[in-house]
Amino acid sequence: MMSDSKVGLTSSQTIGPFFKYGLAWQDGEQAFPEGATGTAIEISGTLVDGAGKPISDAMIEFWQADATGNFGGPTQGSCAGFARAYTNPQGGFVLRTRKPGPVAGADGKLQAPHILVCLFSRGMLKHLFTHIYFGDEPANGQDPVLRAAGARAETLIARPAGAGKYAWDMVLQGERETVFLDL
Amino acid sequence: MPNIIYRKEPAGVHPPLDSPAYGSTVLRHPKQPLLAVPQAATELSAPRFDETLYYPHHDDLTKQCAGEPLGERIIVTGRVLDENGDALPNTLVELWQCNSAGRYHHDVDQHDAPLDPNFKGGGRVLTNEKGEYRYTTIKPGSYPWRNHPNAWRPAHIHFSIFGKSMLQRLITQMYFPGDPLLGYDPIFNTIPSEKARERLISRFDLSVTVPEFALGYRFDIVLRGSEATPAN
Repeated sequence: MMSDSKVGLTSSQTIGPFFKYGLAWQDGEQAFPEGATGTAIEISGTLVDGAGKPISDAMIEFWQADATGNFGGPTQGSCAGFARAYTNPQGGFVLRTRKPGPVAGADGKLQAPHILVCLFSRGMLKHLFTHIYFGDEPANGQDPVLRAAGARAETLIARPAGAGKYAWDMVLQGERETVFLDL
Repeated sequence: MPNIIYRKEPAGVHPPLDSPAYGSTVLRHPKQPLLAVPQAATELSAPRFDETLYYPHHDDLTKQCAGEPLGERIIVTGRVLDENGDALPNTLVELWQCNSAGRYHHDVDQHDAPLDPNFKGGGRVLTNEKGEYRYTTIKPGSYPWRNHPNAWRPAHIHFSIFGKSMLQRLITQMYFPGDPLLGYDPIFNTIPSEKARERLISRFDLSVTVPEFALGYRFDIVLRGSEATPAN
């Protein structure tokens, strides 16, 4: 595989603790402009480390299809379907978005609606990828990623928490460790 | 119809997530192996951005405040490519750095070095049609940190790069040639491959240097490459 590359890949390094002013994003927690089609939803949760302590200096990016299953383009100061959130001193984060439509998987079959998560923080030398699925979504049963996750699949599923709200936590180590993806 | 997939990243290029020499990794890496799943539409696509992301002097960090920052003025430029050698135009390249005294414009940074009222230290550009970016800034200082006794970070600039696919997403740090701290830095040295470490060190380039104005450094950024595979 290495011999296929003509040019050497650039290595990853940690985002460190001091990125906020450099990576500031207007209304970063919002993945779509006001008035975008689809069901408005809010996903909130907490990020904790291997000691169960909140991680207050992480950046979390989200990327997803729109309500019709298409990927968006530039909007004023962002891109439809993209969000960038920062954890607060309690390790909390929130994403305000639209429920994504189904998109095709590698085999051409539709996947369950999901959101790609890209996690950066001090102490992480490379970002981690995961997916968020929705607890009230019947298509989950056939989804290849959830099936591959087996008994740990529930760490990928956001729980309905009232009208338009979902709860989804990220845990870096331990019994409830979130499934992170090798893509 | 062929599918596009991104090649697996070669061993030794990225640091292991569990790198105890960098103490903060201990509680911040997954203990379970990453779950291998096929690349599909969401991760194969990526956000696209335009100039509405820019703010005043987004590419010139020496002009973001009322006066000029202290420090050695530098130009940092390079190309964003993929492993196939193809340029990535219209790609967002963000950077951030500390001031020339080694202090970040960030309330968590308590290093006892002066803040520069004329330096914030963040920039944002899109690459041109040849995949090139270019910034004017000042050379960042070195600073101590508490990883181990007498730990100092070599001078560095943080870079964040998007690509055509979220699988190309990268955050890294650019270093400077001849920095005596490189050999002592656990973050830099978590990268197993010596060649890969060398690629994070910018090159001084006299042709980038602007006479009587600023020294020039070149730093190319190479993201994951894709290949076509036959459909199932």
